[in-house]
Amino acid sequence: MSDLHTNSLMLEIKELIIEALGLEDISVDDIGDEQTLFGEGLGLDSVDALELGLAIQKKYGIKIDADAKDTRNHFTNVASLAAFVTAKQAA
Amino acid sequence: MSVINFNIAQWRAWAPGLESVDDWQAWSRQPVVLERSDAAPDVSFLPAMQRRRLSRLARMAFSVGWPLADGRQDLPLVFISRHGETPRTFEILSDLATDQPLSPTQFSLSVHNAVIGLWSIMRGETSEMTALAAAGDGLEHGMLEAAALLDEGAPAALLVVTEEQPPAAYSAWIDDVPFPYAVGLLITPGNQWQLSLNSTSQALSKPHWPHALNLLPTLLGQQTTCQHAWKNRVWTWQRNP
Repeated sequence: MSDLHTNSLMLEIKELIIEALGLEDISVDDIGDEQTLFGEGLGLDSVDALELGLAIQKKYGIKIDADAKDTRNHFTNVASLAAFVTAKQAA
Repeated sequence: MSVINFNIAQWRAWAPGLESVDDWQAWSRQPVVLERSDAAPDVSFLPAMQRRRLSRLARMAFSVGWPLADGRQDLPLVFISRHGETPRTFEILSDLATDQPLSPTQFSLSVHNAVIGLWSIMRGETSEMTALAAAGDGLEHGMLEAAALLDEGAPAALLVVTEEQPPAAYSAWIDDVPFPYAVGLLITPGNQWQLSLNSTSQALSKPHWPHALNLLPTLLGQQTTCQHAWKNRVWTWQRNP
């Protein structure tokens, strides 16, 4: 997987986060690749987690198991989400 | 006949393009149906992260209620809406009809007490709160609730009536929301106002405007009484000089 692909996927995920979660005052430049999304960092909450999970499933046609232990880790930041989406799409 | 007495210490109203007392004075003298509009009230007094999920209905409720609650703690809230979050319900049903997964945000905020839940979280308010969906006389049923709260010792009670313009699919069934609106009343103990309930067996004509909007000329001092009939219930609002 190329860096170019990863970067464009991360940008896409940032746009998805802003749109799906209604973050009207935030731009993609305000979200760091490694910035924590939930709790601290960007300050998203549990409803956001569900909403973002749904948006990612819809956009990338992948299935997310809400009960799987590692799901929480995939949602740590934009970089981990991009890696997760790439792995799922390759599977 | 049942009678309750109270004061209306302050009030606020909002509809697209109508915000100030002067706006409402003008509208009340010549009430007209407003043009369809997506305009929503300004709720920039709330942090961006908190207001981002608020629908227009919630924004309307907050915009009329927030200034009335300013500086007050332990203020019970009576929230009244006959139809509630119809746009959210319609979106959820549309997703269901096409086998789409449901939005957790839409789902959690579609329930009738979502607005009072948000109000409680955003204000750190833990007083008693009620969400009512009555018939066309929800305003008056809400007033009974507010009067009961005062009777129990609350120094004031906040009453918010709001209706959202329903999606077009509901237009065959919902004919009592001419345009989106919200009215907030800060109720305190007193004798400046009187609301009485009588019953009648005659079919009385319904007021042309929703009760909360029909009350505005009396709130604005353009008249001293106002009568609202719904089914066999006749409510008379009297403003004492």
